[in-house]
Amino acid sequence: MSLLEVENLDAGYGDLQVLSNVDLHVDDGEYVTIVGPNGAGKSTVMKTIVGIATHLGGEIRYRGTDFAGAPPEEVVRKGIGYVPQSDNVFPTLTIEENLRLGAYVLDEVPEGRKRDVYDRFPALADRTDEDAGSLSGGQRQMLAMGCALMLDPDVLLLDEPSAGLAPDLVDEMFDRVDEINDAGTTVLMVEQNAKEALRRCDRGYVLAGGENRYEDDGDALLGDEEVRQQFLGG
Amino acid sequence: MGLLQEAIFGLVTGSYIAIAAIGFTLIYGIVNMINFAYGEYLTLGAFIGLVAATALPVPLPVAVLVAMIGGGIVSIVLARGFFTPINDTGPVPMLLTSIGLGIALRNAIRLVGGRSARYFDTETATFRFDAVPSLSIGPIDLLGGFFITSEHLIVIGAAAAVFVAIHGLLTRTDVGIAMRAMGDDESLARVRGIDTQLIRDSVWILAGVLAGLAGVLMAIQTNVSADTGFSHILQILSAAILGGAGSPYGAILGAYVIGLVLAVSTAFLPSSMTGLSSAVAFVILIGVLLVKPSGIAGTEVREA
Repeated sequence: MSLLEVENLDAGYGDLQVLSNVDLHVDDGEYVTIVGPNGAGKSTVMKTIVGIATHLGGEIRYRGTDFAGAPPEEVVRKGIGYVPQSDNVFPTLTIEENLRLGAYVLDEVPEGRKRDVYDRFPALADRTDEDAGSLSGGQRQMLAMGCALMLDPDVLLLDEPSAGLAPDLVDEMFDRVDEINDAGTTVLMVEQNAKEALRRCDRGYVLAGGENRYEDDGDALLGDEEVRQQFLGG
Repeated sequence: MGLLQEAIFGLVTGSYIAIAAIGFTLIYGIVNMINFAYGEYLTLGAFIGLVAATALPVPLPVAVLVAMIGGGIVSIVLARGFFTPINDTGPVPMLLTSIGLGIALRNAIRLVGGRSARYFDTETATFRFDAVPSLSIGPIDLLGGFFITSEHLIVIGAAAAVFVAIHGLLTRTDVGIAMRAMGDDESLARVRGIDTQLIRDSVWILAGVLAGLAGVLMAIQTNVSADTGFSHILQILSAAILGGAGSPYGAILGAYVIGLVLAVSTAFLPSSMTGLSSAVAFVILIGVLLVKPSGIAGTEVREA
């Protein structure tokens, strides 16, 4: 049984259908990426899983139990961490307050949890009382990941973590994701930087036109002539 | 009367306007609506306090407490009945609903409570400071002897206590931080697992409690009638906008600016023109907004 399974998923926004018949699964401990052209519906997959986009049909199972259509405040309680692509921190709240809300659904935050997040992202530790709105794009992305990690989720959903980052920060971001996965957290990541994402992941899906077209090991997809031609720019 | 005396009056007015403006601006920032019926919440709070103090009767501090609890209940009941069901329709339908609700409440209060103004029967101690020398510049006395009553001190003290309590709530408690988070980004708040309806309900109760307190304080200073709250709603609105709509700290600042300008302009204007003093507050409001459209403490104008 996979940790997270999506089967025959139809989804969109209100009446507008974006995804049709999307299938994917993520096993415990895996690092899976979804790549594909702009407008392919990559982010919509994430948003449907966490309950922001409109679920129109099909199943979304977590440890075998279907929860398709559950609102975000329920999904987060299952141990599914989600980092949206943009607007992923509260700008007028301090870094400390943002992290506190990251653990909002926990009755009690385990000892040392916040320390771990600060250890992972030391740039945040120096400015705990500053507003998140004052952070640079890279630091803001670190904080957003930190907030999701406050729950110590079983699976972490990352929506285009490299979007909008300066080129020298992109590598660092991917390194951090590697570290998080190495520490035992299952990762499902949507990325537009397809080559780098496929190089790093265990397994990948290519999504186009709201349907999944290819599924294979990351390296295999990188080596696939058709995928290279159509989706990776040769 | 010297300017110092006017400043004390301004501080008192600013204090009860500030308490109400905090409630008003929290509703604006978190529920995302302008609640024009909020003045009536103050009136209801004042009447509840008056009934408790005269009919029961209980000592004044207990009556104030009763008014605060009553205000909270009134607010959540009205919200559940009129605003929560149309929460997704956007700010304009909610504003219009609140205008209608305000008219209905005001007239219902007039029907039940009558037209005449009623008064809190309070014992007042007056402290005089006549020894302060005058410092006259032209017709205006910049210092001068002044007095302050125990009622003044109660109003100013209550406001200070409210500021400390609100600051503590918004920065130290999960509910308070969640309120600010919702003001920032409701969608992200849901992703964090925040029950947004629960937070909205909390804001309604809190705003009602503040309205109850502000209403009683206002009534002790002046009187209680069906128009008690309504006659202050524009000042409350101005204070909230002046400070930066949605910001409680800005609302406090805005309220004292309005209170002081109202009082001091009364002193500066010729006696035939004192009716213009409320207009002066709006001139200040327009002036500030021309220079800084987001208000004194505002960082950005929230998109509706």
